[in-house]
Parts: sequence; structure tokens; C-alpha cells
Amino acid sequence: MNIKITGGRLYDPARGVQGATQDLFIQGDRIVAHLPHPDRVIQARDQVVAPGGIDLRGQVATYGLNFLRLWNRFPSLKELGQLYAASGYTHVHEPFLTLYTAGYVHRQLAALPLVDTSASLALNLRDLDSSLKSPGQLEELGQTIKSLQEKTRSLDLRLIEPFVRYRQSYYSHRTMEAAKTLETLTRLALECGLRFNLEAGPEVLEAPLPETRAFHLAALGRALTEERQLEQALDHLEKGGTADLGFQARNASSIANEQPVKVDFGWYHPLNLNPKTKANGALGVMRLALQYQGPGLAFSVCGPVWDPTAEFPPCFSWLWDRAARPAAWERQLPGREFSLSEWAWATRTLPARLLGLADRGHLGPGARADVALFDLPPDTPSSQWAQSLSRCHTLLKAGEVVIENFDLVQPETPKATYYRRAGAEEGPLLAELCQYRSFRPENLWVADELGGAWVGLE
Amino acid sequence: MCLFKPTGVQGKVEVGQQSVICTGCGCLCDDLDVAMAGGQLLEVSNVCLWGLSRFFPYKRFHPKKERRRILEPLGRLNGRLQGISYGAALEHAAEILGKARRPLIYGLTNTGSWAQEAALQLARNLKARLEPADLAFKAPYYHSVRKHGLYWAPLEVIRDEADTVLFWGANPLHSCPRHLVRYSVFARGRFTERGVEDRQVAAVDLYRTEVAKFCHLFVQVDPGQELHLLKGIREHLQGSPGPGPAVKGTRRLAGFLSKAEFGVIFFGRGAVYNQGLAVLDELGSLAAHLGEKQPFVLFPLASDFNSGGLYHLLFNELGVPEAPDFGHEGGLLTSAAPGDFDEVDAILVVGADLFWFLPEDQGRALQDRQVPVVSLSPFANRTTSCSQVVFPVALVGLEAAEVAYRMDGLPMVLKKLLPTAWPSDREILLDLMKAV
Ligand code: SF4
Repeated sequence: MNIKITGGRLYDPARGVQGATQDLFIQGDRIVAHLPHPDRVIQARDQVVAPGGIDLRGQVATYGLNFLRLWNRFPSLKELGQLYAASGYTHVHEPFLTLYTAGYVHRQLAALPLVDTSASLALNLRDLDSSLKSPGQLEELGQTIKSLQEKTRSLDLRLIEPFVRYRQSYYSHRTMEAAKTLETLTRLALECGLRFNLEAGPEVLEAPLPETRAFHLAALGRALTEERQLEQALDHLEKGGTADLGFQARNASSIANEQPVKVDFGWYHPLNLNPKTKANGALGVMRLALQYQGPGLAFSVCGPVWDPTAEFPPCFSWLWDRAARPAAWERQLPGREFSLSEWAWATRTLPARLLGLADRGHLGPGARADVALFDLPPDTPSSQWAQSLSRCHTLLKAGEVVIENFDLVQPETPKATYYRRAGAEEGPLLAELCQYRSFRPENLWVADELGGAWVGLE
Repeated sequence: MCLFKPTGVQGKVEVGQQSVICTGCGCLCDDLDVAMAGGQLLEVSNVCLWGLSRFFPYKRFHPKKERRRILEPLGRLNGRLQGISYGAALEHAAEILGKARRPLIYGLTNTGSWAQEAALQLARNLKARLEPADLAFKAPYYHSVRKHGLYWAPLEVIRDEADTVLFWGANPLHSCPRHLVRYSVFARGRFTERGVEDRQVAAVDLYRTEVAKFCHLFVQVDPGQELHLLKGIREHLQGSPGPGPAVKGTRRLAGFLSKAEFGVIFFGRGAVYNQGLAVLDELGSLAAHLGEKQPFVLFPLASDFNSGGLYHLLFNELGVPEAPDFGHEGGLLTSAAPGDFDEVDAILVVGADLFWFLPEDQGRALQDRQVPVVSLSPFANRTTSCSQVVFPVALVGLEAAEVAYRMDGLPMVLKKLLPTAWPSDREILLDLMKAV
């Protein structure tokens, strides 16, 4: 169908469009420069028109997450997909996929309706430690990692623990501390064309980050506990690095249980699926977001996503409305407020770039027509933006109207899972990695039947 | 290993080799190789005896395991099961299920995930109750997790790291034989390279089972002593053993568990036979207590090959790992307790042998009330012999492709290796959905 969206205020930071009233033309699944005879005209007067949202860190399909449903009636995947679409999102990126949980994660992602999906391969450096210590093996290690990425059908790479540590004391001689590990990983990244999402615990920001091009700092929220870490993060960003915020946004009272819910992936620490949110957990993130004014900071929340329509808006409010911030933060935060352009950049444009989705996150000709329309007349005070932007009035995905007048009208819209086709060679290191697995390699790698529809990006 | 030349394959044959996943139990061993020729299996290697009967169901590998394949759809006419067409079977089954006021879909733990999804949809359409065959085993576990929290690890990690393994009311040699060599006892993991020499293994059971032969510690208890034993262990671990006599083995088990650097308690059906809810509550509490200092996993040893897939589906779709009742007047009701079948007026059995597990009086009550049963099964069993309609089905992972979840919840793709004339569980369920 050919569609014209007319009269809306466009927010397309990739092209420098900041709320100008412009028409948008859609032909099939693409945005085009002009369209003489549209089949349908969508009136967008008093509406904000933005690219479809991309959740850079949507923890929705992690192995073990299902158990959370024991306590909170955690939404089903069907509901979760609908909630994402309702809040104007068209893509969700799961952060925790491991070598042997890849099939699980992809099967869950495939069951998340409406939104496209992708995942990060979380590497366990303990598996790679001998290669990390052999400078001559870096090239092979790089190829192996690329190969793992393709075989697990993941879009990017993630490091949860940027060190090598063993629980077994007799392996302590193989320990690699964070500074040394990051230095080696930098060389690996630069020599082999890799980039790592580095989960930013306090320990990461203690170590000097040698090269901004090699790392994206993920989920800063947990790490910004001290002044020094804030400075490190700012330094990384100001040198041209990128990061995502990792708001610990959820009100602690929304977690019904105080029970530990931990999954052991064979890392040094288990993954905590029910982390305690600190009362002041968002303060560090807010300081960073308001002090830094460059293009390197994306929006994200830390921990499992329960309801984007309810969880994200309070964080946005803090960013763009001084009055919404807790009074206790008043003296510790700069008075700056986010603009709608910055919101669109942090939730759409930058996430698309970070994931390598070239035709998403902007509204230029050739982009895929993922467009979200929100009711937000021009003179609306920022105190009401969150309410307006929490649910979209209209959502188009690949040129198809999915939500219209706040109602889901196309529940069966096609969706896909994106992964990186690295085209890497399989070396002996890959076989070595597989030798301790209880799966045969052919069952370890993600089969077509476990997910999809698949889209491989070069 | 098994080798025999199938009938009908004569002279020189082209033999093909394939890697295959065994659906004999929740281990879903994926290191099996099969040799095939002329559309028949010649040989399977790496398989245990239990799994072998999956591949060669006609052979008598185990005195109790000889099974007869159902060759055509059956309908009960004049009190006798007789061959009928697939269409007639479908019509008859649809009539039974469509007319029922309180239908039940039972079983599903021994079928693939696609079939489970279809069954859940059918349950919705029929406004039926859906009851997993092993609800009595799994529900107390989830109750315990809800109360005490969770420390979970996939079998990969357990095999690599667990140095202390306790089997409680479980005999893996019977329920999932290769578990011991692939994951828990003799397996050589990354940090347990010497297999059983790098692990301490104990077991608690009512009977002195074969497990005792390789366990470093075996504690035999009398029926009803489990709770007393668990309480005693806790007290010992807390350094305050109570007065009065303790169950024999209490102190040694407490000592055994306290030395763990990474522990796991595998519990089997024996843990839920008597006061299951309370035993699992105590086991959960014990694992949580031990887990405060080091990783400690409480792990249900599910023997049905896709029990994990069914609960995963229930979690995903309904948010609760319990039996959903779509016919409840007040909306969807889920229940952790197995139903008593009193209200049920039609039963569809898939991937289970209901009458094998049902207490005799309940089975007889169903027959006395003439509750019609529709069953899907590759083999004749107690349930098919009590059914009004029987559909023969393709064997999952051999004659039908499917997805199944290993007992740790990791999904695997089961391939279709052999041609078959029979439809899969899923196909029949989808046809039933259209017909009802
Ligand atoms: S342990 Fe289970 S899955 Fe493995 S071969 Fe035996 S029956 Fe099959």
C-alpha cells in the first residue's frame, strides 16, 4: 500500500529534522521522497511522527526468565510483544544469548509477536582464556568468535565479565584481571574488526578503557556508583565512545518477591534475574545523561523488561521534565532537560546504528517504513509528554498499519530475527571450544526451526 | 549398540549414517548414530537399553517392554476396537470431544513442542482442562521455587562444575540411564575432568537401588522419614541438632552437603510419593540455605522426554506452570493439583499412558461412568485398550520432525529420519481442531 502521513511533526534526528511539520510518503515497505497518488492518507495533525523504537537491551528472552512468571504474572511473550508495539517499538534486542542457550533464546524471540528481534552473544572469556594469552592466536580467536556469532545467529557480541576468573582455586593461576583482559580484547577488536558490548559493572569503569572504538558500554546504571566511575564513563563518551544508560527504573515495590532468582551460565557470577533496585539507582545515570550532550548515549533499562509502556515513561520524564525528578536529586543534577529530538536519537536513531540496522532509526528515503505516531500537540507541557509518548496512536511496521487509534489491528504482522553473517572460517579452536559441550556441534548451533524468520546481515 | 538386519532388506544395501537425538527420556541424548538402509534402521550406537526400545520397538530388549505398534485408526464398535478410516476416526473423536461439557486433555509430556502448542490451542477451543502427565511431580517443585527462590543451571554447567551430587528419591538408572555418564556422575566436565573421582555422590531412597553401587553415601529411609531427615540435616547445618533420635545418616548427609563447592540435588518421583509438597518445600529450603554460601541447584529429574517443553509452554502462554482449565465459569483457572476426574466427561490422551498411571479405583470409576477416551499413541497400551477412538501416530524424532526441551529447558530439533504412513500428534491435533 502507498501511504501519505500528513500534518505531523517529524522527529528524525538522523536528518536533523526536529519537529518540523512535514509529510511522509510510504511506498510498500519503504519510505520514499514523494508519492503522487497515495492509496491512503493518515492525518497526523497534533501528532509526533518518529521512527519505530528500538530497544537496545530488551531482556525478554533470557534463559531462566520464565521462572519470574512464578511470582508476578510476568506478561506472556504475546502480551510483551503487544506492549512493545503499543509503546511504538518495532525491534527488541535481547542482551543475553550464550553458546548453549542460543536455541532457547531464539525460540523465545520467535514467540514474541509484532516486533523484530535480535540478540547479543554473551561470551564466556573463561572458554577463550588460553587464546587470549597467546598473542599469536588473536587472528584465529577473532575468526572463531565471528564464527560463533554466525552459528548462534546473534547480531553482536557482549562481555558480561571482562576478566577471566575461576571458581576453582586450583585454576587461579589462569586468572586475567580486567585491565589486562580489556587491553587484549582491544587488540583483538581492532585487529579482527570486532566490537564488544561491555556490561558496565563498577569493576569495568575502574579499569582504564584503552580504546573507545572497541567497546560500547552497556547498561551503565549499575556501574555509576562513585564519582570516579561517572568520570570514566564521561571520558569514554567524550572521546567518541558510545554507551547505553541502563536505567534501574523499576520501583522496588513492583517486584513482588524478594527471593533470589539466579541462573548460572558458567560465568564467575550467576546472572541475577531479580536484582534489587536501589532507591537512588537512577541518579548516576541521570547525572551522566544530563552532563553529556553528545551523540553517543542510547536509552536502555537494566534488568528484565516487564512492561515498556509503564517502565520507560518515568525514565523519560526524569530526562525531559525537571519537575518530575525526585526533590532529593535537585542539587545533584544539572538543570538541563532532554528535547524530543534527543529522545528520538536515544531510543531510535542511535540504537539502530549500534545494531547495524542501516534502514531503521530514521525516516529518510530508502528507510524501512517503521513509523510511530504519538498524540502530542505542539504546546503540550513536558510534564505530559511521558503520558503521550507511552502509547502510540498509530504504528506502522514495514509500511503496514499495526496499531491504529491505539488498537492493535494487525496482530499477525510478519516479524524477523536479525543476525550477523560473518562469513568466518571454522578453525581448530572452534572444535576445541565444543569439546566440553554436552551437545554435538550440529545441535549446539541454532537450527532454522528454532527461530526466524531469519535475516542475515553482512 | 544394536545391530540387526531388518526383514525385507536383502543382499548388498546402501547404508546411510545419521546423527540422531534419542527421545527415550528427558536427557535427549544427541550423540547417537544410526545406520539406515531401505527406509529401515539397521543399527543405533551410544544408546542405552531404555532408549533402544524407542528405535526398535518390536524387539524384545526388556522383558516388560515389548510393544505392539498400532497399524490403523481404531474405533470401538459393539464394544470392540476395530479398524476404521482416518476420516471416520476424526469424526468420531470430534463428536466425543465436541459434545463433552468438561473435556480433559491429558498427558503431553511425551510428545513434541509443536504438538503441545496445538493441544493447548485445542484445549482453548474446547474449553477443556489440560493436565500434564507429571503434574504431581512438577507442581510441588514450582511451589517450592516460589517459596524459596531459584538457583538454576543448565546441565552443561552442572556437568562442568558440580562436585557434590545428591539423588533424592531418584534412580536415574531407570528413569534416564545415561544421565549419569553424560551429566551428573561419570561425565568428564571442564572442571570435573576425572569424572566420578572429581565428584562426591550420595543418594537418599526408600530402597537400596543400584545407585548405591557408585554412591559414596547411600541413605536408606523408611517411608515417612524423609521430612524428619531433611529437618535433621538443616539443624546440623545450622549447628544446632535437635534433641531426640535422628534418622540414620542425617549427620553424614549434612557433612556431605556442607563440603560442596557447587552442589546439585536431583530429585525424582520418589520425592513426591509421600507428602510431596512438604518434601519439596524442605528440599527447596535446604538448597536455598546451602546456596547462600555456594551455588546449589535443586533439579527435577524428569523422565518424560518433553516434560520441560510443556511447562515452558505453560509459562510462556499462561504465566503459570500448572494445569489450565479453560472451561471454568469464572474464566481461566489453573491448578497445581492433579484433577480427580470426577467431573470429566471425555478425555483426549496424547503423549502418555493415562491408565498406566491412574490408581486402579480411578481408572475403574472412569470406565464405570463410561467416560469416552480418545487416544493418540504409536503403540498399544492400557489407555488405547480403554479408548473409544485410537489414532496411530508417527514416532517423534524418528518418523516425525519436532522440537523438544531437554530436562534443563534447552530446546533441540528432532529430525524425521524414516518414512511413515502415520501422521504426527500435531497433525492429528490440528485436524481435530478443524473437525470439532
Ligand atoms: S538416557 Fe534417555 S535419551 Fe539418553 S539414550 Fe537413554 S533413553 Fe535415550
